[in-house]
Amino acid sequence: MLTTRWTPFLTYFVLFSFNPLHLGGFASHSSFFKRLSPHSSRSSLLTFLPALRLLTFVFILTLLQPAPILITPGPPQTVQTLHPIVGVHTRLTDEVEEWKIQRTLQLVREMGAGWIVEFFPWAYYHAEDGGIAWEHPDLVVNHAQAQGLKIIARLGLTPGWARPKDTPLNYLDETAYDDFAVFAAAFAERYQGKVDYLIIGNEPNLNYEWGYRLTTPQDYVSLLEMVYPAVKAANPEMMVLGGALAPTLEPAGSPWGLNDLEYLAGMYELGAAAYFDGLAAHSYGLTFPPDFEPAPDVLNFRRIELLRQVMESYGDSHKSIYITETGWNDHPRWTQAVRPGQRIQYTLDALDFAEANWPYVEVVGIWAFRLPAPTKSHMDYYTLVTPEFVAKPIYAELKAYTGN
Amino acid sequence: MFRSFILKLFGLICLGLLFASCQSEPESWQRIEATGILRVGLDPTYPPFEAANNEGVLGLDVDLAKAITADLGLESEFVLFGYDGLYDALGTEQVDVLISGMVVVPERTRDFAFSEPYFNAGQILVTGGDTAGIQQMSDLNGRILAVELGAQGHVEATTWSRRLANLIVIPYNTPDEALTAVLNHEADAALVDSISGRLFLMNEPGLVRGETAVSVEPFAIVTRKEDELLLEKINESLDNLQASGQLEQIISKWLGP
Repeated sequence: MLTTRWTPFLTYFVLFSFNPLHLGGFASHSSFFKRLSPHSSRSSLLTFLPALRLLTFVFILTLLQPAPILITPGPPQTVQTLHPIVGVHTRLTDEVEEWKIQRTLQLVREMGAGWIVEFFPWAYYHAEDGGIAWEHPDLVVNHAQAQGLKIIARLGLTPGWARPKDTPLNYLDETAYDDFAVFAAAFAERYQGKVDYLIIGNEPNLNYEWGYRLTTPQDYVSLLEMVYPAVKAANPEMMVLGGALAPTLEPAGSPWGLNDLEYLAGMYELGAAAYFDGLAAHSYGLTFPPDFEPAPDVLNFRRIELLRQVMESYGDSHKSIYITETGWNDHPRWTQAVRPGQRIQYTLDALDFAEANWPYVEVVGIWAFRLPAPTKSHMDYYTLVTPEFVAKPIYAELKAYTGN
Repeated sequence: MFRSFILKLFGLICLGLLFASCQSEPESWQRIEATGILRVGLDPTYPPFEAANNEGVLGLDVDLAKAITADLGLESEFVLFGYDGLYDALGTEQVDVLISGMVVVPERTRDFAFSEPYFNAGQILVTGGDTAGIQQMSDLNGRILAVELGAQGHVEATTWSRRLANLIVIPYNTPDEALTAVLNHEADAALVDSISGRLFLMNEPGLVRGETAVSVEPFAIVTRKEDELLLEKINESLDNLQASGQLEQIISKWLGP
């Protein structure tokens, strides 16, 4: 690297340093090249010979630097697991180095998780002129595919050109729904056969997820109406997942959001059923064990059953649920956390419970497999592997659970 | 003429820069000194460091805050927040300091400053009184080590088991169960966080705490970064409390000797 950067300068100095007459020429490229021309005197050319030899030496030195690390996806792998329901939400969005992407996905496969949920931010890739930078999503998708992982892609975040000035990154209003649909369709088309599931948006029942714009189910249904046909036209095999609602008890009129059960019912009332093929769901256990009874005024793992009741009441029970975020937290100070041992046991029990009781659930995706960097907050205590790739005991327990 | 004007202009700019550099940011210490009150932010859900009951707040950090303010000739005013809101409360000047079992986090030092640590909450080894020769992790080859399942001690022990071929690590569901295993001679030592370990030892004097902590997790007092004078006063006060033995008395009161 160093050699490459300094080669032109070294060459320049080397050439001149061997002929005192030319030292002053550093400021004059024209005189330098003039001296190298066929009209130059023989003696002048001779004075350059040592310098040319050195130039050759420097050139060879540049060739001696190590080649960039070559990372290939490698031969296709297969996930070995006793529990195909196990999945994880990876967080490779902000992971720059390719080897870290590959290593993360290897660890997912070795743990026996067959699914990943990954976030692909629209804002990161899509330029105003229509160009889409596919390099990073290509890395993630190709490495995941090489590890034999099924991918649920989550799309979100609005590019600056598609939202009003001075609005936050997650601001989205109806003027940009068609642009979002263009990106979602392009994504579906590009990854045909590699990505089979697409989540439109994230936790749309929270105003935060719309850039603090007060939101109603109508906003989200309008978005689905625009995106669903575009994706299906581009890739008819793509399963479009709606929902991914935040578990919350916020009442109607709250400045923060709306109760997920009410929001889902509102979506159905507005005809959303025609615009998604499966329901993505978030289901955190907080301090409750996984078999704790569900209730409308309690947030726990089995809230999934209440979402299912809403689906059934609107005649949508033929669709599956995909749990794309779940888990327990073992931060020593957070009031919604449990002890590390409880976290492990609850997680394993939750997987057993889902397998035994929820035939309509395809995947239980644990949030989060690994973060690219520590957040130094309770979020670090949701992960299975540290940013430095140290597997936590919960990782080993899950690996044993899947028979690896 | 023009040259003289340029020189004068240059001189004025230099003077301006000099004044700007001399003028410090608003410092909380003047206000604290004037009012005589230090506003302390804490999350009262972390006994024995801080807890709340009908009579107010109590705990190791509460006693420490009172000792520091007494040393500085001030009074404490405790303001309660959830743990996640503590830094925001300090950043928005709702309090002057945080004394709430706050771990030193280098990533926070852009906006906040940490005092000298007053307690190490890292992992400690606890052994039975009759377990001779175990002073540190490297003494555990061929021994049985109890840990809390999934906790930081478990991670540390797993790392050590790669270095010590004959170290046997047995996880238990809670730190107390791991320590009880030592008491019952099921394990030679337990690796637990120092708070759990010391609390257990208060009632089980038969066990022995290792002299040196296995890992470091320093608790410190947090101030806003610009409050340099306040931080200096707090550090001086901590030094005084340490020198007088009062700091150790406070820690021993809540966590045992």
